[in-house]
Amino acid sequence: MAGEQTAQPRGGSALRRAVDGPVAEWVGLAVRLGLAVVWAWAGFAKVSDPAAAAQAVRAYEILPESLVKPVGYALPFLELALALLLVIGLGVRIVAGISAVMLLAFIAGISSAWARGISIDCGCFGGGGAVAASQTEYLQEILRDTGFLLMAGWLLFRPRTKLSADAWLAM
Amino acid sequence: MSEKNREGKRTARERMHEERAAEEARGKRNKKLAVVGVVLAVVAAAAVVGVVVQNQRSKPDTPVAAPAGAIGPKNLVIPDGPANAPSVLTVYEDPRCPACGSFEREFSATVDQLQDQGKVYNNYHLVSFIDRSLGGKGSKLGANALACAQDAGKFRDYHDVLYKNQPDETSDAFGSNATLISLAKQVPGLDTPAFESCVNGNKYSGWVSAVQQDFDKSSYKSTPTILLNGTPIYPKKGDEEISPQNLVKWIDEANQGKPLGTTGAASASPAPTGSAAPAAGTSPSP
Repeated sequence: MAGEQTAQPRGGSALRRAVDGPVAEWVGLAVRLGLAVVWAWAGFAKVSDPAAAAQAVRAYEILPESLVKPVGYALPFLELALALLLVIGLGVRIVAGISAVMLLAFIAGISSAWARGISIDCGCFGGGGAVAASQTEYLQEILRDTGFLLMAGWLLFRPRTKLSADAWLAM
Repeated sequence: MSEKNREGKRTARERMHEERAAEEARGKRNKKLAVVGVVLAVVAAAAVVGVVVQNQRSKPDTPVAAPAGAIGPKNLVIPDGPANAPSVLTVYEDPRCPACGSFEREFSATVDQLQDQGKVYNNYHLVSFIDRSLGGKGSKLGANALACAQDAGKFRDYHDVLYKNQPDETSDAFGSNATLISLAKQVPGLDTPAFESCVNGNKYSGWVSAVQQDFDKSSYKSTPTILLNGTPIYPKKGDEEISPQNLVKWIDEANQGKPLGTTGAASASPAPTGSAAPAAGTSPSP
């Protein structure tokens, strides 16, 4: 009983410091910049070839043809905008919220493609479109996006981070 | 009297504190709302700018210029062989696609023969989607060079040379115009200044993009996609595997009772009637 009581606070306090204390804001900075890199990488990879980006969207066979190009064209710029906002740390909580909604939509799209038995590359970081059935990587793609979702989740619940515009504006 | 006064003073001070706190809270809320507004505006602006910019940057689905003799509704198809042949073999190929390379190595002699017998007319769709997944420019530049060869009337021969010299899928050798031009030297009469400037200037890049966008919207997802009179025959037609023998058999079956096409002038690469062959034929007589 006594041993348990003394051991718990020590382990607990280190964890609590990471989640609640001043360390949390440094962890938050790392998570924020990490998510910024993810969005920037995803955006840049899709921006160079608009037709390929549209085809990556079309390959999911979810959206009607009239929405394929607008979504394929807008998405990389949206991702770059989120990266920019995360780098400067402005409105971290709402940016994290938008990020989480987008990642959930991506995970839903990939799951849907997997469930319907079509063979595509998710086109998450460029590329995309149909691939051979043996070359699909749905599980890896979903796990990867889930990791990004956890990062967005952290920022959603701990939006105070070091070196952010939010902190400078004293919010 | 005095006690009442003190009480009144305290409540006034408290009220002031409360008001200041409320004002601060209001200010903080306003600041938060302003930030949310800025974020939403940035995100919305990015989406709109993306649609406008990418729309401007993307090449039209209907090409401005197409290679000589291209056919189809938007001139996206390269014809090869006798146009009045009874069967049509539609081929979707990417210059970098290894399965297309092995198809060509196995079937090009048979297909050339079937064309020269007036049995089949080929429709080539030069798709270029491997660049997207593997990076590079070999699919697009290779397709452009093939379009340039079509302008020169040497499509079939250059097409055969390219697939015979196809690099590994991951190597982007066709991404170099110098390589494409040096391969053109294997086709007599193809390597002219006009051909070189067509290749180096990437003259048909818009057309190549339009062909790919047409393939994107089709129901076909891989290359080679091969259709005989509209029916897929690769890798199988029904239960039968494709082979040079089966291809000949299927085309003969489809052609039953129909007149053969005119060969020679209509063929993109005419039989060697011009210079070399007659000279060789006449030399032994004296």
